[in-house]
Amino acid sequence: MTVRPFGDRAFLIELEQRIDPSIIDAARAVADAWERRGLGEAIPAYASVVVTFDPARTLWKDAAAAAEALASAPPGAASAVAGRLIEIPTVYDGPDLAETATRSGLSTTELVALHSDRDYRAFFLGFMPGLAYCGMLDPRIDAPRLASPRPRVPAGSVAIANGQTIVYPVDSPGGWRLIGRTDLKVFDPAQDPAALIRAGDRLRFVPR
Amino acid sequence: MIRITSCGLRATIQDRGRTGHAREGIPPSGPADPVAFAASLALAGCGDDDAAIEVIGLPFAFRCDDRRIVAVTGRDVRVRTRVPVAGWTSVLARPGEEVVVEGSALTRFAYVALSGGIALPRVLGSRATYLPASLGPLPRPLIAGDELALGASIAGVEVAGRRIVPPAYGGRARAVAGPHDARFPDGSVSTFFSATFTVSPESDRMGVRLVGVAVAPAVDELLTCGIVAGAVQVPHGGAPIVLLADHQTTGGYPIIATVIRADLGQVAQAAPGEELRFERVTPEDPRRSRVERT
Repeated sequence: MTVRPFGDRAFLIELEQRIDPSIIDAARAVADAWERRGLGEAIPAYASVVVTFDPARTLWKDAAAAAEALASAPPGAASAVAGRLIEIPTVYDGPDLAETATRSGLSTTELVALHSDRDYRAFFLGFMPGLAYCGMLDPRIDAPRLASPRPRVPAGSVAIANGQTIVYPVDSPGGWRLIGRTDLKVFDPAQDPAALIRAGDRLRFVPR
Repeated sequence: MIRITSCGLRATIQDRGRTGHAREGIPPSGPADPVAFAASLALAGCGDDDAAIEVIGLPFAFRCDDRRIVAVTGRDVRVRTRVPVAGWTSVLARPGEEVVVEGSALTRFAYVALSGGIALPRVLGSRATYLPASLGPLPRPLIAGDELALGASIAGVEVAGRRIVPPAYGGRARAVAGPHDARFPDGSVSTFFSATFTVSPESDRMGVRLVGVAVAPAVDELLTCGIVAGAVQVPHGGAPIVLLADHQTTGGYPIIATVIRADLGQVAQAAPGEELRFERVTPEDPRRSRVERT
């Protein structure tokens, strides 16, 4: 692992440069360990963790030493907190369903079956509040993002692209392929946590 | 209570930010110019944790129903009650008196703090507004006619007239190289720290876009990673984006440098068309310039 300064109040700890569930768990375990130390919050992603601190409370050199110590003796993927299983009731009627099936040489029924017959791992949340990147897709239904993003995608849209699947948490612009929708609220500011899905959870899409 | 009589272009409630929720994908929000915001709270006799109003597009005006200490900060701002007063000064607002916040063509973000603070409940630990996800206790821009409750004022008239010297806004921001500096082609980092960029009009609370000089982008794809405010992303086109308070919590563009927190306001307050340069500093002593060895 390498530790690099990220401005004057954070460090970037890099594990590797590939997407792999065990690396994602290891990154989350590093983030949990940093937050247990109480220096500041940590943001895990696929293969890296941003760890933050408050220079008013902690000297830069002490935070740097703590980050180096964590990177040289990481807690390991096994210590990551186990996730829950979350079922996402899904109506498969998205505007990109037919085209995405056709480009994969499948019927829409086959695409729906391939999307809903496996459990996905929530890798991490980012891009917008409550958005969990989940994977991996069956390679037979993989497809790139749309050439031009939509200016508005409704909250609850179920989408796929680049080997992964997401549920749009709020109305927003978006370039993923919309294959269905759910009534489940994946982001609700009235709740705490506001995000339904946590990194490490398993997701199962249940056709309705 | 205050009653808004003129709402500016876009005014939102902000406090120092919503920390602790990045792992839910929730941006920190809070002020685009943290230094000016903190000064407005201090001048109004508020605590660090209190909420104030961030205004884009002056004038902004309001009346209080009781006596309050008001402080207006930002770039090139002033406040008018019965008489005009410079910004960055504690001002006494009498009951019913209209308080008008004014700026110039150089003003972008103005802060209006009132003694007692804006009394709204916290949502996810903060009163800050994040408009893209309608997040916060008042998740919309203020409009004329809005009435906001204020907390109990502990600041007395004796603080009126106090001043904080504003930072010298204009043209320069200190930044630490990286974290992805090593991924850029030779010369990109020195180009970034020697270039004079121009601020694009397509800039907002999420980020400031820089044009005029292209920075050769990193060739290899980067896996999405976490982000902090001040991160300078360089997309494929080579036009850098400095991320501000409403930044996404993760991003996939390589980050060539990161502006230190004390200078986020230097970036946020740069007006469209103005020039902006970056001064390289070391993270352990960000107030001192780094001596370039070449």
